[in-house]
Amino acid sequence: MADRVIIGKRSKWWNEETRLAYLLLFPAVFVLVAFMFYPIVYVFLMSFFNADKLGRLRAFSGLKNYKTLLATKEFWKVTGRSIIWTAIGVFSKTIFGLVIALLLNVEYRGRKFSRMLFIVPWASAVPISAMLWMWVYNPEFGLLNYTLEVTGLWKNPPVWLGKPISAFGACMWVDIWIGIPFMALVFLAGMQSIPSERYESAYIDGVNSMQKFFYITLPGIGELLMIATLLSSLWTFNDFNVIYILTRGGPANSTNILITSIYQYGFEWLKFNTASVMAVVTFLILSIVSIIYAGIYFKRERE
Amino acid sequence: MKWRNRSKPFVIIITILLLLFMLFPFFVMISTMLKSGEGVYTSPPNWIPKKIMFSNFITVWTEYDLLGYFESSLIIAIGATIFNTLLSVPAAYAVARLKFPGRKTILYMFLVIQMFSPVVVVISLFKIIAGIHLLDTYISLILTDTVFTLAFTTWMLNGYFKSIPLDIEQAALIDGCTRGQTITRIMLPIAVPGLVTTMIYTFIFAWNEFLFALSFIKSRPKMPLTIGLYNFVGRWSTQWQYLTMSAFLALIPVLFLFYVIERRLVAGLAGGAVKG
Repeated sequence: MADRVIIGKRSKWWNEETRLAYLLLFPAVFVLVAFMFYPIVYVFLMSFFNADKLGRLRAFSGLKNYKTLLATKEFWKVTGRSIIWTAIGVFSKTIFGLVIALLLNVEYRGRKFSRMLFIVPWASAVPISAMLWMWVYNPEFGLLNYTLEVTGLWKNPPVWLGKPISAFGACMWVDIWIGIPFMALVFLAGMQSIPSERYESAYIDGVNSMQKFFYITLPGIGELLMIATLLSSLWTFNDFNVIYILTRGGPANSTNILITSIYQYGFEWLKFNTASVMAVVTFLILSIVSIIYAGIYFKRERE
Repeated sequence: MKWRNRSKPFVIIITILLLLFMLFPFFVMISTMLKSGEGVYTSPPNWIPKKIMFSNFITVWTEYDLLGYFESSLIIAIGATIFNTLLSVPAAYAVARLKFPGRKTILYMFLVIQMFSPVVVVISLFKIIAGIHLLDTYISLILTDTVFTLAFTTWMLNGYFKSIPLDIEQAALIDGCTRGQTITRIMLPIAVPGLVTTMIYTFIFAWNEFLFALSFIKSRPKMPLTIGLYNFVGRWSTQWQYLTMSAFLALIPVLFLFYVIERRLVAGLAGGAVKG
């Protein structure tokens, strides 16, 4: 009890302190309930009802919406694409992040400046970055294809956003590009907390750089790696802006992932049954990952 | 990590190459924003504009409604920042300093809902916003941006409040300060760095927000920057010199603010071991 500010008696649970706490929490909890929990409950409800074009609930339909949607090829394609999007995205962000963190962990003049520059893709507004990339990818007037051709790196670069596979790859790259700096910063912070004696004794033992990386650096940032990948999975899975701005799910639906499909079904085609079932599926997937993240984070906080 | 000296030049070269690669779209932005209309649409394109048009800087303010978009974004972002602070400070104080049934559960909920996807709820949120007649208003965005940053800012502030020694507060209470006074006169001044972080975080979130604005705002004068710029993007004849110029101007404030909070943000997201 000594670690708290004590006011009044704490004989009953409903005391002055509890009342004050609930009073202070009330406004925040109220808006969260009204504008976050209630909408989630509504989406769940909607997925079990027949909804009309205005999203009003008409008749209870049980699992019908789920059965209908789960029987479509489209749903599995989109879900699969979401998983591929997240898996490749997070993997690439981790690798790039590790490389940049290792580079930034070397001391030289101007290191702080390069650190600053590496952050720019994360610091920049995602919708604006996506619009810039749209121009970069322009096949005729864009500077990307021009530069690739002139430098001879790629003689016949694709019409990036025009064909299904290259469009998906192009979107994926923009998402990866945005996510790299966060990974790099977390890994860098982790690496800098590894005591330098470990490296020094390794140096005396004649250990090479590869071994240093795998036996000292990587284990040293192990738990952070876990937290960063979990967070990154959530963000990657949730990315709406990049795909919506670059391709709107096209060409021929080839870049739609769950998140963009929900929006399309809901706002463009007003098919609330489909949209709500997809939203519920997405919510469940995200909740699992969030709970794992929260669990690890809570454990760390206590230590 | 101590690298042997001879590998340093190698590290620097790789760093420069990687930076050129990572900053590519921004080089394109800077190259395009000073081009003329024909300069943008020449094939093959050039990196250095043939004709440098500093007048683009003026045109985006006068002929395009950039000022209006800036104004909307500012109102929304400042509104969300204030609203968020008003809600998160008391909530964070309660979970950091008071003992009450359900405290752990609430903390845990705050941590989990940080990750909720706006897309999952945007359909029903649209219905709610329409139901309370807030469609096409700044308030709709101030409200939703506040809600979707609230869990994170409360969680962060909770950490900052917890790190303030209890004695200071206890002494103030004994000296006859009320609870409210200890929060405003003792806790907040000490927690300023934390408060600055959460306020900037909310500001940036609202400034960059796209989905809610796309769904709730229909009239042009109320559009924030993200949507205003998005409307620049026509199918065939986007005037990229103006779009990139506007993008450049829109990015400057967020970049600056981001550097202020970047370290604390990483620490807040990654937890315990990373020091802010």
